[in-house]
Amino acid sequence: MRFDNLTRTVVWLLVAVAAASVFQPVPAAAQHAKPAGPPGFEHVHALTVAADGRTLWLGAHAGLFRSQDGGRTWQSVRLPAKAPHLDVMALVGDLRDSRLLYVATHEAGVFRSQDGGGSWSQVNTGLGGLDVHGVAVDPNESSKLHAAVRGQGEGVYRTADAGGKWVRVDDGPAGEVKVLASVNISTGMGGIFLYAGTAEGLLRNPDCF
Amino acid sequence: MGGLPTRRTVNGFAVNPENPKVMFAAMRDGLFRSADAGESWKPVAKELKNMAAVAINPKRTDEVYAASEDGTLYVSTDGGTTWTERR
Repeated sequence: MRFDNLTRTVVWLLVAVAAASVFQPVPAAAQHAKPAGPPGFEHVHALTVAADGRTLWLGAHAGLFRSQDGGRTWQSVRLPAKAPHLDVMALVGDLRDSRLLYVATHEAGVFRSQDGGGSWSQVNTGLGGLDVHGVAVDPNESSKLHAAVRGQGEGVYRTADAGGKWVRVDDGPAGEVKVLASVNISTGMGGIFLYAGTAEGLLRNPDCF
Repeated sequence: MGGLPTRRTVNGFAVNPENPKVMFAAMRDGLFRSADAGESWKPVAKELKNMAAVAINPKRTDEVYAASEDGTLYVSTDGGTTWTERR
């Protein structure tokens, strides 16, 4: 069941509102660093640094990329999927294990690697749709994640077993989710907050649903 | 409370794992930093525009990366105060 904003099962609170400084226009930025060969990113969606502090991962319309020299050069990393093209919407690693990475895609749900990107498995059991716009790992419990699904099966899903099985837990915030993050700030009710960057701003909600 | 452009898309978001009250938001209007869990925000650099994603190095949390929509990568090594384009 879908609820409107006034009757949503959980109310997502706007984190901050107010007028902001307006930046002056600047010249178009220079080329992003990339080695000869790999395609351009086309449109960047996500960026993360692995727990080792050396490996950068970038998600873009053109797929998944990895850099091991601080972003000076990038290598395309292929995800195993039937879809000919994967638009990588979100990335999240584990704060303690640099080999563990979750990748959310526009077409094929969530992929998980446990060996630093050497091999991948799709972890979509229970997701109502495969257009995943956000994925977040609980900083206190790395097997607990949340994912934001858009379109078919839209809502926020939770897994307690590292993607083994997802359960829909909420309609999610109003507005298209762009990024999702579990933030280790106590709600005072035994949980922490889930933040969502959306088309309507930054929102947060206790992750206790 | 405030400082983020109202009703505008937040494309990217990153949190300092050592101090979760420190966070960054990447937006078309630029990159914004909060030190109070999002209660208030300030833009961090005028040269950053059309920002799509941001990440904090968990090993060295003063090291922050931000990417624009077109893939230009910027790096800060002082917690987001100054930025250089990564080439």
